[in-house]
Order: sequence, then C-alpha cells, then structure tokens
Amino acid sequence: MRRFSQYAFEIGDVSHVSFWKKAGPMDRVYIGYGLLVVLLVIISYVLGATGTLPYDPQEIDLELIMAPPNTSGHLLGTDFMGRDMLSRLIISIQAYFLPGMLAIGIAIVFGTCFGVLAGYWGGALDIATTYISNLLNSFPRLVLILLMVAAFKPDIYYIMIIVGVTNIPVVASLIHSKIQFLKQKNFIEAATSLGLNNVAIIFKHILWHNCRSVLIIQATLGMAEAILMETSLSYLGFGVQEPTPSWGNMVQAGSNYFMQGKFWPSTAPALAILFTIMGFHLLGDGLNNMLERKGDR
Amino acid sequence: MKSLPSVVMIVLIMFCLAVIPAGAEQREDQFPDGGALNYGEYGRPATLDPITSNDMISLRITELIFNGLVGIDEKQEIIPELAERWEMEEDGKKYIFFLRQDVTWHPREGEDAMPFTADDVIFTYNIMMHPQTITPLKVRYEFIESVTKTDDYTVTFILKRPILNALAKFSFKVIPQHGPQNTEFLNREDPFVQSPIGTGPYLLKNITADREVILVANDNYFKGRPHIEKYIARPFADQNIMGQALMFNAIDMIVLVNHRDIPQIQGDKRFVMQPYNALSYSFFGFNQRNPLLADKRVRKAFSYAINRQEMLDSFFNSQGTIISGPFAPGSWAYNLDVQPLPYDPEKAEELLTEAGFARNGDGIMEKGGRKLSLTLKVPIAKESEAVKRVVLAFKNYLQKIGVEIEPEFQEWMSWKEDIFLHHDFDLMYASWVFDDSADISSLFHSAEIGAWKNNFGAFSNPDVDGLIVEAKLTLDHEKRRTINRKLHETIADENPYTFLWTLTNYAGYNKKLRKVAIHPYKFFSFADEWYIPKSEQR
Repeated sequence: MRRFSQYAFEIGDVSHVSFWKKAGPMDRVYIGYGLLVVLLVIISYVLGATGTLPYDPQEIDLELIMAPPNTSGHLLGTDFMGRDMLSRLIISIQAYFLPGMLAIGIAIVFGTCFGVLAGYWGGALDIATTYISNLLNSFPRLVLILLMVAAFKPDIYYIMIIVGVTNIPVVASLIHSKIQFLKQKNFIEAATSLGLNNVAIIFKHILWHNCRSVLIIQATLGMAEAILMETSLSYLGFGVQEPTPSWGNMVQAGSNYFMQGKFWPSTAPALAILFTIMGFHLLGDGLNNMLERKGDR
Repeated sequence: MKSLPSVVMIVLIMFCLAVIPAGAEQREDQFPDGGALNYGEYGRPATLDPITSNDMISLRITELIFNGLVGIDEKQEIIPELAERWEMEEDGKKYIFFLRQDVTWHPREGEDAMPFTADDVIFTYNIMMHPQTITPLKVRYEFIESVTKTDDYTVTFILKRPILNALAKFSFKVIPQHGPQNTEFLNREDPFVQSPIGTGPYLLKNITADREVILVANDNYFKGRPHIEKYIARPFADQNIMGQALMFNAIDMIVLVNHRDIPQIQGDKRFVMQPYNALSYSFFGFNQRNPLLADKRVRKAFSYAINRQEMLDSFFNSQGTIISGPFAPGSWAYNLDVQPLPYDPEKAEELLTEAGFARNGDGIMEKGGRKLSLTLKVPIAKESEAVKRVVLAFKNYLQKIGVEIEPEFQEWMSWKEDIFLHHDFDLMYASWVFDDSADISSLFHSAEIGAWKNNFGAFSNPDVDGLIVEAKLTLDHEKRRTINRKLHETIADENPYTFLWTLTNYAGYNKKLRKVAIHPYKFFSFADEWYIPKSEQR
C-alpha cells in the first residue's frame, strides 16, 4: 500500500482508504444523524434569511396568547406573547450557532497552543501551562459567567467567551497527553533526524495527522455544551434575551405554564434541545470511531 | 420591579370586613384558638427586625412580632397600640405618649419576660437615628427634634416643625433595650436581627434549616392571645411551585398570587381570593438628558402610542387600574378628573411630526439626522414574565409609530447603577411602591436630580417644584389636597413617565381561614384576629 518514501513521514497516521469506508454501520447512522442536524441548521439560516418561515417570529398577537397547537395556522401553537412557536423554534438554532463557534474556536486554538507548548517542549513551559490550566479549572464556570453578566450585560457572546476559556484546559490536556505519547514514536524521531523543522513536525505530523480527530470531536461536543449552557442560564434569566428567541428562553417561558397543563411551549423547544445535542454527540462519536480506526480493521 | 421612594405611612383604600375592636387581656370574641397557618413566601427574609429590614418578606414577619406606639385599623384610622393615649401640644410641635403598663417583651429562653417601658421607645429612636445603623427609616424620622421620658410610662417627642399626619408616623415598631447586643447601633451582624423579640401577637420560635420561619402565639399578648397557634413562613424559589403547593394543601395561603394563577385558584371552591390594593404603579421613565426626549411632545407621543387597556386585559386578566398621573389611584391625592391619555397612534404620529420628526427610508422617525432609536433598560427579576410581556408589547406599539426600541435586560445591581448613578439610559421600566402615596417630592423635584436620587430622569419644572414645596409646608388637609390635584394635572401634562397602571394584588388562601382582613402594605396587621374553626384544624 505505501511507498517507501512516504514511510518515514506517514507511518502511524492515516492510510488512503476513504473515510466513509472506514466507518462501521452504526457509525454511519450516527454520522448521518449528526449531519442531518447540521443540515437543519443550514436550512434554518436559509429560511430565516429568505423570510419563508410560516410566520414572522417576532410578530406579536395579543389576541392569541398561549394558543394550543394547530390553532389558526400555528402548527405548534403560540407563546406568552402570541408569537408563532414553530417559526421561533426554527430560527432559535441561530442563537447558538455563531456564539457556539466562538466558544469552540477559543477552546481549540488556545487549548492546542498550550497543549503543544507543554507537550512538545515540556520543562518549564509544561509546568507553567499546567499551572494556568489548574488555575482556569479551579474557577467555577457559572460564577464567572454571572460575574461577566453583572459587569457587562447578559449577552450570549460574552457567555460563550467564558465557556470557551474554561474549556481551554480540557483541550490542552488532551493535546498534551497525545503529544507525549507521540513523541516516543519513531516517526517523530525519524522526522527530526531527517531535519524537518519543528513547525512542520507539529503542524503536519502531530496536529494534522494525529490530533485532528480529537479536535473535531471536541468541536462537536463543544457545540452541544454551548447549547446546554445557554439553556441553564436561561433558566436563571441570564441566557439569550428577548426578543431574540433561543430554545433556552423558550423552555423557561413555557415552564411557567407547564403545571397548568399547557405543555407545548416548553416541550417543543426541550425536544429540539434533546435531539440537537444528541445529534452533535453522535456526530462526535461516529467521527471518533471512524478517524481512530485508521483503516486497520 | 421593586423600589421604594417616599416617606410617611398612611395607606388608604381597604376592603373592610367585620371590624371588631381588640379587647384587653382576654379576647371577647368566641372564636376558637389553635391550628397552624403555613404561608408561601417569595424568598427568605434577610433580617427579621423592623429596623434593618428593607424587603416585603421581612416586613410581613415583623408585623407579627412587633408593635408601634400607634396602630392603624381596618378603616385606616389611628388606634392606640403600645401607647394607650396621647396628647398634642404647642400647635403640633410636641407629642406626649402615655404607654400601656401591662405590656411585656417576649421572654427569651430561660429568662423572665421583661416589662415594656419608655426607655425602650427612646432606645429604638436612638438606634434608628444612629449614623452607623443602616436603615431605610432614618429619613422618615428626621422631623423629630428630640425624645425624652417623663416617667417610665410617658414619652415626649419634640418635633422640628409641625407636620401633617405626624401621628401616623409614630407607628414605627419598637424594639427592646435588652434586645440587640450592640446598644449603640444596629447592623446585620447583630444576632438580634436573626432572633428578635418584640411585644407582638406572635413570637419567633425558630428558623429551620430550610429557612422556614416559625412563629407561635404569644400567650401574654396585651390585646389578648391570638387565635391561630402557629404561623409558618415557607420560602419558595419558584412561583409555579408555590401555586401548586396551595392547590395540594401544602400551604394555606399565598400573600401575592401571580396573575397567571388567578383563574385557576379563583375557579376552585376550596380557596378564597382576596384583593388588596397596594399603593404602587408601573411606568416607563424617560431620561430627559437625551435631547430628543426633552421635548414634551415626544414623550406624550409615546404615551398615546401604547394601548394600555389591551396590555392590562391580555397580561393581567384586567386586574388593575390604568392611571393618569404620579399618585397611586388609591391615594387621596389622586386627581380623578385627569384622564389617562387614550390609545391614539395617529395622534402620536402627529405629535412627532409637530416636533419635527419625519419617517426616513426605513420607516423610522428622524429629525436632523438623529433617529428615534432608543434603549430601554429593564432589570431581570426572578419572575420576569410580566415584565418581558410589557416591554415587548411596548416595543411593538412604538414600532408602529416609527420609533425603534432596543430592550436591554440587565442584572438588578447593574441596572440600578445605570439608572440611578450613571444615568445611562433613554427609557426604563419599573414600578414604585409607596407607603405614603401623597409624597412624590423625591420623584419629581428638581433638587432630587443627582447620583442615587430618585429623580433619575432629570425632570425639572419650576411649577412642579413650587407645588411640591407648597404641599409639604401646608398643614391644612383640604388645601394640600387641592395642591396635589394641581400637581397631578401638571405632571400628567408634562409626562415625565408614561404612566401605566396599578395592579390589584390578590392574596389566595384556604377557606378554613376565617375573618381574614389584610393590610394593603404590611399585610398581617390584623392577623391576631384571624382564626381556623376547630373542625378544620389539622
């Protein structure tokens, strides 16, 4: 399969069998489901941008507050302001997507940097990054977020910065241990003795060929985590603020009526959260299995 | 949503049920003793003494534990309490109170009950006015020059100047000299604020680990032993759970029923819904430091643009009164001749056009390149649904007349700083709760503009200033009423706030409670007369 010239550089990383073939049957289901969720996100953006939603999600109808599902064209009923639930449900994912990306971006970029510094060079840098990681880990995340909200304002981007920053140690420690493991492999030794510079070794042979699966999985989990975090903050009133819809604030607003038997305004967004988070987790799981298997089945 | 200006006390409007004057030692009525009342509260009281506490939860509990020199009956008339009679001398500059001699303080464990004397009254006054005591009461009693005791059961108050309704102000709760550890001043570190003793109908038994406050009947209460054996205040973090707790008989009373739950409780024969009018109202406040909002026509346009009746009907089951001016409608100072501005979006647009605004390409009103695009700052409260509704509807109404409103929800403390300290806002939404509805000087007098002062919108009008001072100085009730009516009219015209409404509060309780009368502000003032029939005591 491999030509000799590539051997020194690529042993221990990937083969040339296509990804999809490496996936087991369940993985394909997982990934397929995950990609469906991603597709729905895209559809949400398309519908939102072209204005082809069933109703205007911001249109208030005080005559029709808390209408049950399927009332005069409102498929999922209306919320506490008489706004269409379905339309709000569809565009809600937008409240998470870009802020979630920000959190993921921060965690991955800085986490990787710290991980590489600590793992590849070690020594004093290792000690320093370990201390920084421990420091970050010892701050309770919710308290940090509430402080941020008190100091500035409840804005999803501020919240996601904190989520990203507090995730740095997680990514850093993953990369760190991965590198420590890889450093003992002879392909790195070979690359070094062949005179490759550190940048090439780190970016190509360590990060790209050996860490990308870890990073992709972290990214998908990060999105799921961002959604969960916003939901719990919404329950305290500090999540995405009205009139912007988010599943978190929809569940919160709907929960006031749950005990009175009006379950739809909280159940619909809650199910959306459930299936979306499941989607991102399965996507991560499927990708993990596929990428880690490296075709050596 | 909560806030507290204003100074004196007097509260009007009540739903008078049977009024039976309180007897001496033994209650003259034949109602049975015993039973327990569990009531749901919105949270845990911070302190339980009448001086340092500043929230409604504590206020309700202190009403059961303490007494004032004078009290107020269900008809809003002043009645003797710790003082059995009083005299006024020197044209209202001197008040002499003759105290009851049969009053004892709640005994502490292992101690005998101590008698209540004039020293306690003087002690309370001194501790209240001490600079290191943190209390909202201080400003209310600055009119007192000095307090002296003639003998153990006579105290004399000298006033700096005669004031109207001075007597009502002597309803402040008296605390015992042997109560606080620190006899100079009182702060929240003192053990007394968590385990107070008073003279009232109920004594504090204990506070459980869940912060339930348990009060038991005071056998030696000077008006006679109260009927109900135990009061238990149970804090609830979630209002929905509290509503359900009532439905499932886990609690017997909710002091303030959420408007959302009214239909459900009202439809249930096991419960009584009793309305009581709090002296409060909600409003949108304008920051007149913004030159666009300094124009009266713009402010008025906003008030014309919103449909208050529709909001009240949709959000609050029509349980409230739309108001036109700065006084709570239950107050004697309220001017019924001034009508609230009607819903008239066309008139609103007209006013904006008159003020020089025209719609730009996006349909937003513009004048000299400045768009009418404003931030509305709103605090995030625990129970925020009603607030969100009003704010979103407001935004919606104003959009129709070409005004863009950007609601900004803020954490409570930073909201307070932005409004009262930095004055960094265009519009704000809040409610005032009054205990003296007639005193609005701190809200609209131009001397009250500044950091942490209540005239946060920098409203300034010489006529209003003059009328406020005039109303304060006069000693004639009728004249004061006339001035206040004029004041109401002027402020309604100036429109420093978009006045919204006063909501009717409801207490919801189990039918087993009888003879329930509620004080609109202090709530439990008449609780010593409530009872539970023998057959329904659990």
